[in-house]
Amino acid sequence: MNQTRVLNIMLVLYVACIFAFIFAPILFSLVFSFNSQRFPTIPLGEFSTEWYAKIFADPDVWIAARNSLIVSVSTAVVATFLGFCTAYSDFRYNFRFKGPYLALILLPPTIPLIIMALAMLAWLSKLGLSGQLWSIILAHSVLTAPFAMAIIRLRLNQMDPDLESAAWNLGGSEWQAMRHVIIPFCMPSIVSALCLTAAVSFDEFAVSWFVSGLNKTVPVVILEIVQGNIDPQVNAIGTFVFLTSMTLVILAQVFFISRQVKSHS
Amino acid sequence: MSEPLVTFRNVKKHFDDFVAVRDMDLDIYPGEFLAIMGSSGCGKTTTLRMLAGLETPTAGQIHIGGELMNNVKPHERDTPLVWQSLALFPFLSARENVEFGLKMRGVAPAERTRRALEWLNRMEIGEFAERNITTLSGGQKQRVALARSLVMEPKMLLLDEPLSALDANLVIRMQAVLTRLQKELGITFVYVTHSQSEAFAMADRVVIMSQGEIAQVGSPKDIYRAPANRFVAEFVGRNNILTGTQVSQDGNGIVVETPSGTFIASAPETARSDGSEVTFVVSADLVSLSVEEPQDRNRVLCTLISEEFVGSMVTLFLESSDGHEFKVQMQERDLIELDLHSGSQIWLSWAVENAHVLDGE
Amino acid sequence: MKRRFDIYAMTWRLPIIFWQFLFFVGPLLFMVAISFFVVKNYRMTEAFEFVNWQKMFSKGYFWDSYWYTIFIAALSSTVAMILAFPASFALAFRASDNLRRWAIFLLIIPFFTSYLVRTFSWYVILAESGVLNAMLGYIGLGPFKMLNTHFGTVVGYLTLTLPLVVILQTVTMANVDKTLIEAARNLGCKPLATIWRVILPLSKTGFIVAALFCFILSFGDFVAPFYLGGSQEPTLPILILDTTKSGQQWPRAAVVAIMMMVTLFTIAFAAIALAYRKGGAK
Repeated sequence: MNQTRVLNIMLVLYVACIFAFIFAPILFSLVFSFNSQRFPTIPLGEFSTEWYAKIFADPDVWIAARNSLIVSVSTAVVATFLGFCTAYSDFRYNFRFKGPYLALILLPPTIPLIIMALAMLAWLSKLGLSGQLWSIILAHSVLTAPFAMAIIRLRLNQMDPDLESAAWNLGGSEWQAMRHVIIPFCMPSIVSALCLTAAVSFDEFAVSWFVSGLNKTVPVVILEIVQGNIDPQVNAIGTFVFLTSMTLVILAQVFFISRQVKSHS
Repeated sequence: MSEPLVTFRNVKKHFDDFVAVRDMDLDIYPGEFLAIMGSSGCGKTTTLRMLAGLETPTAGQIHIGGELMNNVKPHERDTPLVWQSLALFPFLSARENVEFGLKMRGVAPAERTRRALEWLNRMEIGEFAERNITTLSGGQKQRVALARSLVMEPKMLLLDEPLSALDANLVIRMQAVLTRLQKELGITFVYVTHSQSEAFAMADRVVIMSQGEIAQVGSPKDIYRAPANRFVAEFVGRNNILTGTQVSQDGNGIVVETPSGTFIASAPETARSDGSEVTFVVSADLVSLSVEEPQDRNRVLCTLISEEFVGSMVTLFLESSDGHEFKVQMQERDLIELDLHSGSQIWLSWAVENAHVLDGE
Repeated sequence: MKRRFDIYAMTWRLPIIFWQFLFFVGPLLFMVAISFFVVKNYRMTEAFEFVNWQKMFSKGYFWDSYWYTIFIAALSSTVAMILAFPASFALAFRASDNLRRWAIFLLIIPFFTSYLVRTFSWYVILAESGVLNAMLGYIGLGPFKMLNTHFGTVVGYLTLTLPLVVILQTVTMANVDKTLIEAARNLGCKPLATIWRVILPLSKTGFIVAALFCFILSFGDFVAPFYLGGSQEPTLPILILDTTKSGQQWPRAAVVAIMMMVTLFTIAFAAIALAYRKGGAK
């Protein structure tokens, strides 16, 4: 008995270590962002908001933030639309080549970003579409649509397939059934998908860096600062990126989970 | 009867290699309560779905009100369906669910609200009009589903096992609600079910289906007393089915020699010749029991195997000397007088006119 | 049966086909094509020549980099799988359902925090005079050189992969039928033997998928080996980065990228075949 207790305590400590390893960089980044030292170490320097002041005063950061906002919102809309179409097609229809059809949307995340970045850069340059903000949007929509598809497909799984037929049976055309039944039913997952795809797009740097040309997004700015030298501005920017992403993820969870619970009661 | 409202002519429905419905011919008349009954996979739901336009017949024609309906889309029909799953819209209130069809048809908001509330009140659930559908009980949801279909004022209402999710006492109440509604509205109900008690309790006519084909159409009484074939006789249950060889024919009926004995069965003058195989059925509630050997010519001595009680009715399972199983149904109080126990020997007998010969067997 | 064009069905089916052919299949195929193009005077011209393939395959540094990338990605995947296991085991079998849900939610958070910021954070922590060496100094150890080493690269990879591996292992083991474990214990199987003979075989598929994801992520990442590993031994992604960004040698970068994809697909197919092979007697 005693042996099991020792073992259990050790397991708890071990789990704590793993979580400490995973969260250490996030926490330290937050701490460093309020630390006066340029080369942070222990003992810590004084509390300072110097780095925040610096980034607020930097017009490049503001432009990057605006760019990121445009890119992530547009990406979210396009990817969620694509994800919805595919999820609905998969839910409603059986057709030949459905396997390859689904592979088409689900495969992109398994391909290393650096490869996607190179391929996108080459292809978009060829088409004359590179170096623009919407180059990033095109690329990100491909990368994030599978997440939207997965979330919306899960929601459709919970739907009684008779619901759509019931709408037709009551005199609704296919389009009316889509508008008055399928979309309202999927709404929570659509909002979740919008938040999640926006969050993924907001953090992506490799593809953005390759295809964006001079239109930098926030992660690209971080990448370039990091390349230069140690500059704790990165931590301050990181805090904002973290807050934005977390807000989106938590919103996504709230919409997704709350509906999940509701439909079970 | 009047002109049929619905006609099925040589209707077939295939799903890839699976034949769901084959060569169906059926007329449905205005104002009747028709039940389509059969075990799962017999094609009854496919038949209903073809009426609603949710499936297209592979061959044959379906007419409704004289119009060919084969390629008419579901939403262009006037055939509201009450679903087995109810298929109520979970994100709408009870009233909004009932209004749905009117909204699709472009009825003005005020008018559709008025009509929806009228139907909810008629179904005695007016007080739940603004409640979210997920918060209602099974019986209440059932009534919303009915109201949602009936508010469309159809000539025909389709029902797909609507009571299968309810518990037993609620089923009886809803049966009463349905029969009353059907009589009041005077519209056609087409009711698909696997439950014999539901079909027999409510329907004017019953269609029994088996493997995509109609096994028999008739009033509940016809089907119960005069099953058309062995399938129906077995499906309806509580029938004693005996097969033997015809040895002679006289004014009373035909004499059939079976392993359990020789019996006389009533049959119209037929072309059946002596020596041919004959199957007849005797309904379990028309068999009498006696301790003394009875005078009837149709009698057999059996051993009691077991008994099964449902309410005040009891079904006895007995076995003749050749091992054939007999079923006898009777009131429980009549059983007490006989003082039987497992292994008791007892005589079974029945009148000639209650032995019904199956056609074409 | 009538075969007429169903506008409604196609409205939902066609957009993704159109979009993915234009912006997913198109780029990848074009990348294959440019691997046969030639660069003259810093300009890429269309051609069909094997010069890039010959150049890359004959270069010693390409093969060094190729094997080093496989080695370091495999090493980091192994480390991640081993490090994660006790934690996943505890979360799967010792934690309540509620606690496990919370743990998994927490583990999802890192995916939505900037990987670059986390890497930068490690850079500062692991530096010669950084936080970790300062802490070790108090107990009289070090300073250790941790940046610009394999260790640094692996720490970076783990930052990326460890949360995912813990999640996948935990979910896999939590889904193992508990009665089988009890049955094994009941039949006299010792705890460690139960893990080895019951839990691991039952979790095989999930574990192989976890290791595969881990490998794919590490194999394709350029941030960790670049900033924490110091790119002294460049991995393939760094090679792509260098040839594309500085040399304008897109065709050669394409060769490297195609080799990466071929390698990844081979490993993925082998892993999936292994994962879904009918469990033989062990």
